[in-house]
Parts: sequence; C-alpha cells; structure tokens
Amino acid sequence: MKNGDLGIKTTTIEKALEWGSANSLWPLTMGLACCAIEMMATQAADLDIARFGSEIFRNSPRQSDLMIVAGTTTKRMAPRVKRVYEEMPYPKYVIAMGVCVIQGGPYVDGYSVVMGVDKVVPVDVYVPGCPPSPQALTYGIITLQKKIKHETDR
Amino acid sequence: MKRTGDSTMYKIISESEDKNKIKIINIDKNDLVEFMEDYKGKGYYLSSITGVDMKDHLEVIYHIHNYDTHEYIEVKISTTDDKVPSLTKLWKAAEWDEREQYDLMGVIFEGHENLRRIVLPDEWVGHPLRKSYDLKKVQYISMDPEGKEHVSYNENEGW
Ligand code: SF4
Repeated sequence: MKNGDLGIKTTTIEKALEWGSANSLWPLTMGLACCAIEMMATQAADLDIARFGSEIFRNSPRQSDLMIVAGTTTKRMAPRVKRVYEEMPYPKYVIAMGVCVIQGGPYVDGYSVVMGVDKVVPVDVYVPGCPPSPQALTYGIITLQKKIKHETDR
Repeated sequence: MKRTGDSTMYKIISESEDKNKIKIINIDKNDLVEFMEDYKGKGYYLSSITGVDMKDHLEVIYHIHNYDTHEYIEVKISTTDDKVPSLTKLWKAAEWDEREQYDLMGVIFEGHENLRRIVLPDEWVGHPLRKSYDLKKVQYISMDPEGKEHVSYNENEGW
C-alpha cells in the first residue's frame, strides 16, 4: 500500500481481497480427537480467536473457508475429510493441528491412522504439539493470515 | 430348576482381588451364561467386555457392575478355539461389545445374531489386536462415490 498526501490510500483489488479474506476466516469444526478440546478452548471466551479476525466456527463446510483438522485422522475418516474439504468454497485453507495430523504422532506404528493429513488434503500451516496449546493454534492462525497476505515472518 | 444363588449350577475356578480391591472371578466358559444369569438376578449389569491375547489362548473379561451396592466384578474366561457363548440373550448391551471384540480380537461369540465388524470396514483382513497380526502388511481404505468402503494393500488406492 502507498500513502498519498491527500489522505487517500491506493491499493490493488487483489490486495484488498487478500486483506478481507485474511481478516475474516470462518473455521470449520473438524474436531476428530483430543486436539479438538484445545480448538474449542481457542474459540471460547477466554482466548477468543475472533480478536484476531477469525470468526465463529461453522458446522457446514459451505459456510467456511478454513479447515482446522484437529485430531487423529483415521484411515476410515480420511475419505470423509477429503469430501468435506471438497465441499468448501474457494479460497480455502487447511491448518493441521497436532502431531497426529502432521505425521501420525503417537500412532505412528498403528494400523488405523493416516500418517499425515497432507496425504489427503493440501495443508497450509502445521501446528505441532500433543495437543498444541490454544496460544499455539492462535499463532498458527496469525501465520496463515500472513501467508494469505503474502507477508513473511522474516 | 435353578434358584438364584444356587452355586451348584456353575463352578468358580478361582477368586482373587486385584490391588484396587476389585474382585476377579475365573470361571469355565461353558458356565458363563448360567453364572451371568445368576448375577443378573442379583442386580448386576454388564459394563464392558474386553479381551487379551495370551498367544496360546484368548482371555475374555466381562466387567459387571451393581448399581445398588456399587460392587464391581471382573469375570474371566479363557478359550483355546476363539469361541465363547454370547450374552446377547441376557443383555442387549452385549451386542455391540461382542461385535467390537470380534472385530479387533477375533473372538467368535456363539449365538450372536449379527456378528459383523463394527469399527473396521467389512473388507478388512485380520484382527489387529491379535499378537499374530502383521503390522507390516499395511491396509488402506478408500471410499467410492456411493459411500462404500474398499480395502487394499496398495498405497495408491486409498489412505
Ligand atoms: S496430537 Fe495428541 S492431543 Fe492431538 S489428537 Fe493426537 S494424540 Fe490427541
């Protein structure tokens, strides 16, 4: 953005749209296991992610643009995760929350767990931890907002 | 005719207590239905069914609980041919518990009317909590547009 002398800001339409979508992320409740408890805590009054421009959680994929995959993705759940992801409108983003979702976590030797949800849907931000604290998830959402706005941490 | 509390109908092999003072009763699997009928008459309910693979035999453990006295008993039976009698005639709740034990441990409950898999897809091969189950042979699950699940050994055909 450029600041003019007349109190007018000029920007591109892309930048304006990015700014808009980064600051009104509507997450989808995709709580699959224990990590979902921390996801609920992130959204509840105490830590309230709405302060960071992420609105209330929606229960329908058609009304949301961010899928927080929170919890162990089992092999039986994977086709359903994929289907819900495909039902979301563009632009859509995915946060992988917890080590289970990142690479299998404690179930890495198990028979029933997908070793990383990135095999199923494309992931934008990984939040490690077992479970990640609500602060970590908030940081993940802020990172995603920066990514949407093409800003970097460095 | 058998009366409640008549212990001649079934034989208790051994009785002990674990460190939490929970009573453990070992019985023969052929006495199971009579034993449970007796304890159902005394006010016990089936809480859950679990299984242990001891390599040469299977152990099936019934956790029963009394709401009035809050007494909790573990009833253990063992089987060498994977077959045990079903308790579905006594408690409807046993139906899903027995299906779970069939699915994961491969215990066959004789007299169960609908002994299918409950947590894994129907096409899954083997019972994963058995010691003999080969974890190296990974199975993958996929779903066709009708919603039917398919299992394959090929990594590219599912997740
Ligand atoms: S990462 Fe830990 S807390 Fe999160 S779903 Fe897996 S086991 Fe549960």
